[in-house]
This record gives sequence, structure tokens and C-alpha cells, in this order.
Amino acid sequence: MEEGKGEFRKYKLLIPIPIILLIFSAAVLVNGYAQTGEWFLRSVELKGGTLITINNPGDISAASLETSLSKFGAVSVRELRGLSGNAVSIEMGSEIDQNAVLAELRNLGVSTQDSSIQEVGPALSSTFWIQSQFAIITAFVLMSIAVFLIFRTFVPSFAVILAAASDIIATIAFMQLLGIQLSFASLAAILTLIGYSVDTDVLLTTRVLKGFGSLRERINAAMKTGLLMSFTAIGALAAILVFSLSAVLSQIAIVLLIGLIIDIANTWIQNASILAWHAERKGIV
Amino acid sequence: MACRKKRNSVANMFGNWKLLILLVMVVSSVLAIGLKTYAYGRNGVEVVFVQPDSPARGVINQGDIITHINNRPINNADEWNNVIQGITGDIKLRINNKDITILINNTFGIDVKNIERTNLQFGLDLQGGTRVLLKPKENVTQDTAYQIISTLETRSNAYGLREIKFQPLIIGDTFLIQIEAAGLQRDIVENLLATQGKFEAKIIKPVDITGDAAIQLGQEKFPVKITGEDIEINNSLISKNKTFRLKNIEFEYVNKTQDRIFLLASVYSGQDIELVSTDPQSSAVAPQSGGYAFYFTVFVSKEGAEKFADVTAGIPSKLDFQTGERYLDTSLLLYLDDEIVSQLSVSEALAGEIFQSPQIQGFRETYEEAFGEKLRLQTILRSGALPTTLETVSVNTISPTLGSEFLITSLYAGILAGTIVFLVILGRYRSLKTVIPLVLISLSEVIIIIGIAAANDSVIWGVAILVNLFIISAVWWKKRESDIFAWIGAIMIPLIGMLSWTIDLPTIGGIIAAIGTGVNDLIIIADEALGGRKKEITEDAKTRIKRAMFTIFGAAAIIIAAMIPLMFLGVGLVRGFAITTIVGVLVGIFITRPVYAKIVEPKTVVS
Repeated sequence: MEEGKGEFRKYKLLIPIPIILLIFSAAVLVNGYAQTGEWFLRSVELKGGTLITINNPGDISAASLETSLSKFGAVSVRELRGLSGNAVSIEMGSEIDQNAVLAELRNLGVSTQDSSIQEVGPALSSTFWIQSQFAIITAFVLMSIAVFLIFRTFVPSFAVILAAASDIIATIAFMQLLGIQLSFASLAAILTLIGYSVDTDVLLTTRVLKGFGSLRERINAAMKTGLLMSFTAIGALAAILVFSLSAVLSQIAIVLLIGLIIDIANTWIQNASILAWHAERKGIV
Repeated sequence: MACRKKRNSVANMFGNWKLLILLVMVVSSVLAIGLKTYAYGRNGVEVVFVQPDSPARGVINQGDIITHINNRPINNADEWNNVIQGITGDIKLRINNKDITILINNTFGIDVKNIERTNLQFGLDLQGGTRVLLKPKENVTQDTAYQIISTLETRSNAYGLREIKFQPLIIGDTFLIQIEAAGLQRDIVENLLATQGKFEAKIIKPVDITGDAAIQLGQEKFPVKITGEDIEINNSLISKNKTFRLKNIEFEYVNKTQDRIFLLASVYSGQDIELVSTDPQSSAVAPQSGGYAFYFTVFVSKEGAEKFADVTAGIPSKLDFQTGERYLDTSLLLYLDDEIVSQLSVSEALAGEIFQSPQIQGFRETYEEAFGEKLRLQTILRSGALPTTLETVSVNTISPTLGSEFLITSLYAGILAGTIVFLVILGRYRSLKTVIPLVLISLSEVIIIIGIAAANDSVIWGVAILVNLFIISAVWWKKRESDIFAWIGAIMIPLIGMLSWTIDLPTIGGIIAAIGTGVNDLIIIADEALGGRKKEITEDAKTRIKRAMFTIFGAAAIIIAAMIPLMFLGVGLVRGFAITTIVGVLVGIFITRPVYAKIVEPKTVVS
């Protein structure tokens, strides 16, 4: 078909975007690894320690709190703000006595009524950490098998898997940059992201391989649907992010939000260009 | 087009039979969530905790429903708490529909909560509470893990801990014990539950070595030879802090002075305890100078008592100048986990006697501390020892106010997210005919997911299967319409409905994820269905819907594949997320999304 010819070439200007994104993400991760020896920032669940979260602590700043608590040892204090209130989270090693810290907080005039305390010992957290790595790898392998079973052709399947992998790498890199730790909640979000990001890729691939009209028409139709899907999800997640004060839900929302935004580039440029190249080479369109 | 002109009313009724099945599922879900049988009416409060010193202990039990106090109806926990303020004297309560009168001197000492009005079980993070993971010091088998839990249950019942749940968890190849409770202090976990509770009673046995040294046990005498710091018994040399056995009694050689050696003889152990008294005659807390003394009697077996008789025989006595009574020149030491909890003097009259009722004593500064320590020791001794020591590996505490705050903010966030989705989609399609069904379908998915999570609903889902079977057969009978896929869904989803799981924050996250993919799928269907309308119809609507369904099934398979590893991660902390997402996706592809396809499918079918 004349109309479809050279669709792939039109991507030439756009192709650098996902490539730069991937290189940048890899650089962030490598840099983080070089500095800390870790690919991820891990939460207390995965590295051990104690996390005290206090909602509506009253008028207190995270910085001054950190200074006051530093006499107990290495303590890091962060502030969370949502539409329905604010919260501070205090992270510290298992060796610090949490009751002493709580007593000190009450001395400082912090209301500890709405609080949660999470304490995970080092042996358990290291098991959790091994399990988490295993979960990411298993999920990715199972997803890849499912993709191959669905499309049964190498290039389109590979493109979908590559898009998912790029999404995960870039999302983890942005989590590093924004200081979002890998916890069970954010891990769940990353695995969901595999599902979400693959949604649009499957849509695109199905439309291109089984659709109707020229290649451009097929891609455009898929894009119209896919972008609407992404934007509704982004809107909904933003709402959850501004509203919810629960660390679990906020983490799930922000990780998915980052991933979905990154996925737009990875689906509609990276995956689309590979598919266009494949479709034109194979004469599907 | 071959189309029957007249359809009879039954066929009409089943025109969109998949919608009918969806309605059955929604109605079943609403019933599963809200239909709860109340044995004693809908009003009243449920007892969650009877304090150990409550006058109602033994009369009122955890789980009882109190509906009236002094003939006044009680509707909720707030009312109860207001009414019982400062109330004393003979109080008439209606408990489980029976009238009971209790004399209250000071306080009731019971905690109540509102009756659960739904079949939903909320997680710790939404209702507040403590979750503790305990790890046995050495690896245990499954049997041992259950034995540990049974001991812990005995302890928590005896101590009167409120609403406490024990569960064995396997992580890797290690068994962990998970404890969840509404209010659980860390020190209770460590001092009451995780304590191994190994009980031992030992007697200091002094042996005179000035003449022919011998250990007297009952009537028998065992000669001892002194060699420097060591002693020699039955031709074996024993140095300090080493143990040996005589007459099946274990001794430890602890010390030597000029004229005596001191041995520590084990006389009773935990297995010897036959009864721990709790009746007021032999168990009490009493004021003593500067604080409170507590005591309770323990009854031990005859074998243990015989060892006591053997060991105490021949120990000289001395006069206690304070009391004017004669005591043996020794002490009975009571140990719990190798720490001395009581050190008792032994009256002269008991020497060489079978003594089966030692009394455990202690002293604390306040009444509460004394009472608490007495209860703790009684509880541990009654439950017996754990097979191994437990160490706390993780503690998670969430205050109740924070929990309910999470639930409310999640609800608001959900409403806001839904509104945004609605507006974005309305902006795109500008057709309420497309958007309203989309929103209703998504809402029905939320209801069905929560309905499936609800507990105690097997009967409801059983009925749903029967109704669905009826619909399927009627459609088959009247219209010869078959759809294997819808049939599977109509049976499988109610079966899944019989499952139940705890609604916690990860579950809410899972609902968001499932609805997110749901909305995505509905958009794909809407676009495919409407796609042909704008231009000339170049493609069969059925083909397009089929393609939409292919995309949806593909995406569903992939998200399920990604969720499976989460089911097994980290002692099930995010299992709620994985289960909810998978169930949501299954409900979507088997029940709800085909209905939406049918609703938005163009009516003019090109054939």
C-alpha cells in the first residue's frame, strides 16, 4: 500500500526520545549503584529497621525534628502532604529504641495519637528482599511467556516485552531521583505497571496486525484509544495521590503515575516504530 | 436478514441475558456484603474484652451481645460508654437475650464495640491494631508451629487478650507465627507470648564436709570425696558448675566453702505442674509495706514432690528471729526461663515430706503491676512451655484513628478519581449513552469485587449459581443461544465469590488497579464499537468487537501473569493486592465487559 510506505521513516525524529530516556535511566541507576552499592532505595520492609509514621503531628518541621532526634543515631525524617492533612515519617535502624524516640516526640509537642509503627528485623527483611527480586523476575518471565503465546510472532512480541522492560527501568530510575523507596506497595505498583503498560502495547499490536486501513490509520486509531486510556488512568491516579494520606496508596499511585507517563513514549514511539518497521518489512500493510 | 419477527416475552426477557447474569452478580454481591444474620437483633454491642479483674469475668464472655442495661436499650458502643460512667450496685444486663444481674463495685472492666453490620473483614491497616511476626529460635516443623499456636492461644485466653488471631506463615522454609490483635502491647508479646515459659524448681542442698561427707537423699546416703576444688561421687570427678544425677535427680555443683559444699537440685519442672490455682483462697494480691505482694499456689505431681522429699531430707533447720519459726537452711528457687521468679523459705515441718503445693510469691510497687505479674506467671504456668523460644522479627502497629482515617480518605480519593475518569471520558465521547453504561459497569465491578471478598456468603453465591444456571438453560431452551465463555463466567465467578479475604490498603490498591484496567478495556470496546460509525462502515461490527475482546483477553492474561508472583511475596502482605486485581480482571472479562460490548454494539449488523 502506497500510503503506508515509509511510516517507519517518519519515526526517525522521535526515536531518540525513548533511547535517550533509557540511557538516562540506566545512567541514574548506575550512578546510584556506584554511590550506594544498591540498585534500589529500599524501605524498612526490605532492608530492616523501624518506620514511625505520624499523621497530623501538629506544627513541626521535618528538618528540626531530624535535628532533635539525631541524638539517638541515624534518623531520617520526611514529610508527606495531602489534601486531607499532613504526616511525617521517621525512619531509623533497628538498634534505636523506638519507645525513647516516641517519648522524645511527645516531649517536643508532637501528637502521636494517629501513628503507625513498622519494625522489621534484619533476617526477615533480607528474606523479603530476596523474595522481591524473585517476584520481579518471575512476573517479567510470566508476562513474556503470555505475550509470546498471544501474538506468536517474534518481533511484535519482543517489542511489547522491550516496552515493558523500558518502562520498568525508567520508572525505577525516576523513583531513585524522587527518593521513592522500593517497598511491597511500590513493588506491587511496578508489577501492575507491567500489566498497564502492556495494555496499550497489546492494543497497538492487535490493531496493527489485525486492524483495518492503512498503517498510519491503524496506529492513529490505536493511539486515540490508548492515549485516552492513559490519560484517564493518570487523572485518576493524580486524584488518589493528592487525596490519600496512606503511604501504601500514595506509593502505588505515584509509581503507576510515573510509569504511565513514561509508557506513553515507550508505546507510541518505541513500540510503534518497531511495529511499523516490522509491518512494512513483512508487507502486512 | 433472517430474523424472527415475533419473539415471545420470555425470549425478550432474556434478550440481553448476559446483563441479567451481571445483575444477579451485583445483587448477590450486595447481599454478600450486607446480609448478616443477627442472633439477638440489630441493636446492642459486642463484648471484645473482659479485663482479668472485671467483676463480670466468668459471666460475660468475649463475643457476647449486650442489648439492654437496667432495661434501657443500648444501640451502640458510645451509648454503652456513656451509660456505664460511674455506675455501681446491682446492674441488670440483657446478654444474648438472657437477663443477668452483676454487682459492680468499681468498674465493669469490659470493652465493647459496635456490632459488625457487614460481612466485610477489614485489615489491621484500616481498623488499627498490631501485627507481630514471631520466629522460633530454631527451625520447627508444621506440627510444632501448630503446637506453638495452641500454647499461645491458651495463654491469650487465660490472660484475657482481646480479639487476637494466630496464624502460621511459611517464608522460604521457615515457619513464622503471625499475631494480629486490636490492641496489643509490645511488652505483652515479649513477656507473655514469646516467652518460652520453661518452669523449674530447684533446692539448694548444703552438704557438710567437716566429717565423712555424704549427700543424704531420703534415707540413703551417697559418700562424697573432696579433691581440691572438685568433688568425687560414685568414682566420677565433678568440677564446679557441672551436673550429675543421683536417684534420678539432677544436681549442679555450685559452690564450696570451708565446711560445706552447695548443690542445686532440680525437683520440679513444667511437666510436674498439675494445677495452677486461681481461686481467691490460694491466689491473691495483698498490700505489704511499700507495695503489693502477690502469691498463688501451684500443685505438682507426686514424682516431683518425692524428689522434694528426698532432697530436703537431712537439711538442718534454723530459727528465723522475725517470725519465731524454724526454717530449713536452704531455699526453694522457682525459675522461669532460667530466671528466678520466687525464692521461698521451706518450713522445718516440710523436711523429707512429700510437698505438692509450693506457693509462688512476688512483690511489685503498685497493685496493677503486682496483679499483672501474678496473671502473667499464672498464665505461662497454666499454658505450659513453648517447644522453643520465639523472637520478635517484625512489629507493625497502627492506631485505630489512623486506620479509620485511611478508610475515609481512600473513599474520598476513589470518588474523586471516579469523577475525573467520568469527566475525561465524557469529554471524549460526548455521549451519555456511551459514558453512563461505562461508569455503571465499572461501579458494578467494584461492588462485585467487594462482594466476593465478603465472608460468610457461600449460601448466597450458591443460590447465584442456581439462578445463573436457570438463566443459561432458559436462554438455551428458548433461543438456542450458547456462549461457552459466558457460561463459564456465570458458574466460576460465584464459586470464586465463596472465597473471602481481608480488605486492607493493598486490597484497595488492587481495586484501583482492577478498575483502571477495566476502564481501559471498556474504552477499547467503546472505540471499536463506535469506530465504524463515523466513516462508512467498512468493517463488520462483530469483527471489531472480536478484536477488542482479543486485546482485552490478551491484556488480562498478562496482568494475571504479572500478579501471580505477588501472591507469594512477603508472608502475604500484598496478597490482597494480587487477589483483588486477579479477581477484578476475571470478573471484568467473564461478566461485565461482554455486557458493555453488547450495550454499545451498533444495532445495524452488516452481514
